[in-house]
Amino acid sequence: MKIDTMFRHAREAFKSLKRNTWMTFAAVSAVAVTLLIFGFFLVFAFNINYLSKELDQQVAIRASIVPGASADDIEQLQKQIEQNPEVKSVTFIPKAQGLQQLKAQLGEDSKILEGLEGEENPLPDTLVIVPQNPQRIEELANKVKAHNLIEHEDHGDGVTDKLLDFSSLVRNVVLVFGLGLAVLAAFLISNTIKLTIFARRREIEIMRLVGASNWFIRWPFFIEGAFIGMLGAVFPVIIVLAFYKAALNVLTDGSQYSFIKMLPMMPLSLYVAALTTFLGVLIGIWGSVISIRRFLRV
Amino acid sequence: MRKVIAVIEMHDVWKVYPNGVEALRGIDVRIDQGEFCYVVGPSGAGKSTFIKLMYREEKPSSGVILINGVNVKRVRDWKIPYLRRKIGVVFQDYKLLPHLTAYENVAFAMEAIEAPRRKIRSRVQEVLELVGLADRMNALPSQLSGGEQQRVSIARAIVNNPGFLIADEPTGNLDPENSWDIMYLLEEINARGTTVVMATHNKEIVNTMRKRVIAIENGVIVRDEDQGEYGYED
Ligand SMILES: Nc1ncnc2c1ncn2[C@@H]1O[C@H](COP(=O)(O)OP(=O)(O)OP(=O)(O)O)[C@@H](O)[C@H]1O
Ligand SMILES: [Mg+2]
Repeated sequence: MKIDTMFRHAREAFKSLKRNTWMTFAAVSAVAVTLLIFGFFLVFAFNINYLSKELDQQVAIRASIVPGASADDIEQLQKQIEQNPEVKSVTFIPKAQGLQQLKAQLGEDSKILEGLEGEENPLPDTLVIVPQNPQRIEELANKVKAHNLIEHEDHGDGVTDKLLDFSSLVRNVVLVFGLGLAVLAAFLISNTIKLTIFARRREIEIMRLVGASNWFIRWPFFIEGAFIGMLGAVFPVIIVLAFYKAALNVLTDGSQYSFIKMLPMMPLSLYVAALTTFLGVLIGIWGSVISIRRFLRV
Repeated sequence: MRKVIAVIEMHDVWKVYPNGVEALRGIDVRIDQGEFCYVVGPSGAGKSTFIKLMYREEKPSSGVILINGVNVKRVRDWKIPYLRRKIGVVFQDYKLLPHLTAYENVAFAMEAIEAPRRKIRSRVQEVLELVGLADRMNALPSQLSGGEQQRVSIARAIVNNPGFLIADEPTGNLDPENSWDIMYLLEEINARGTTVVMATHNKEIVNTMRKRVIAIENGVIVRDEDQGEYGYED
């Protein structure tokens, strides 16, 4: 298509949007509400995904070895476990090192551990086993526990699973709710475009009489719908990102190393803006397709 | 010898509207390139329906219609616009866009088929001169007389060089003087090679400017003669 023609279609579309200010406003608002919910969900989903990956990396089985096991036996055991294809890595942490780590974690409070070095060290020697697949840690833990050199075993409590369950619940709720809103938005857009079709019925009649191609007649309505969708994406993107920035500041003091893990603004903002706008345009085009099929018949 | 191409051919064409009205009942007709042809008959006889079939505004219920040798039934819906580009249509009520000037109304027909911009200016100028409105091209329809508006609509109908001009009562809203202006214009367009078919109730015109006359009554062609007469008393 010629660039001239495209400009013409865009001009027609904008004229119509201006002519039907109130319907345009209603349609844009409906899209905006839909996209606002979608935007918050998007930010949430991205972070859940990020968080679960982070947690997965921390998932490990801490197996304590029975006291008095010989160094040979321990080495043997470590080799044996390493051979299991389900195992990603096995690290031996002697009890002295374990105490050091504990002290480091406690920081200032590590005074309470004073006098527990050497023979007095109550900690067991430990094997830290990282599974290939965090989802199947339970199985692996049971196998490890069965070994008679292992006294005790400890692996998270399925935080990741719960997180993923929760996130899929949220996703389903948002999907149903969002779909309903999207239908409403598309319907309002189609009504706006119906008004345009009505206002331009004379022109359309003449275009058909002189042999304008069907696409030539349809284009302005597609542009109108897409533009309503795009307009409807502006505020949600701004609001969602502003909220997210505020949350980021409050919850993490803007530091990436805080206790609460959240994705930084970049590149998340770009994803959110792009996906939200894309969905807005999609809803807009959907709305125009409805009215073109129902009222235009070209 | 060159074979004369039929612009319109109809074989046993019926048109039954969804409400059951049989507007046309077995039409057989052939209109050749370069002809000038009146369609006459009482109100409700089926003239407009006959004309609508010619530019594929309506589809026949049965029978075969060839437009420029093409069987209309075989033409896919999306190709209909390209068929229409070979046909110009004029109506009793002009169908001009009120917010556009005479020039813009004519240019609109070229823009709609995506004609090159540089061609539009000169071609629109040319047809506005042909219809005698070059000096009024910046006037809005509301600033033009009925006859002038109809001339703009004729300019629009022929601007894309259709080769076939259909007019449904083009003088229906005009006084005798303006009607004659329109008729001379149509005759001129016909003289330049364009086929013209025109439905009319204007007895004086048909009986004065003698052409082929097709008379339809009750959906049937009852008379078809060259240099015919109007033949009704309204
Ligand atoms: N779209 C339609 N739906 C149903 N019936 C129609 C339709 N158009 C026309 N008719 C009927 O078909 C018949 C022929 O109508 P048509 O308009 O072709 O007549 P006409 O000869 O042009 O009349 P006039 O001289 O008054 O313009 C009439 O009985 C009319 O009521
Ligand atoms: Mg009629």
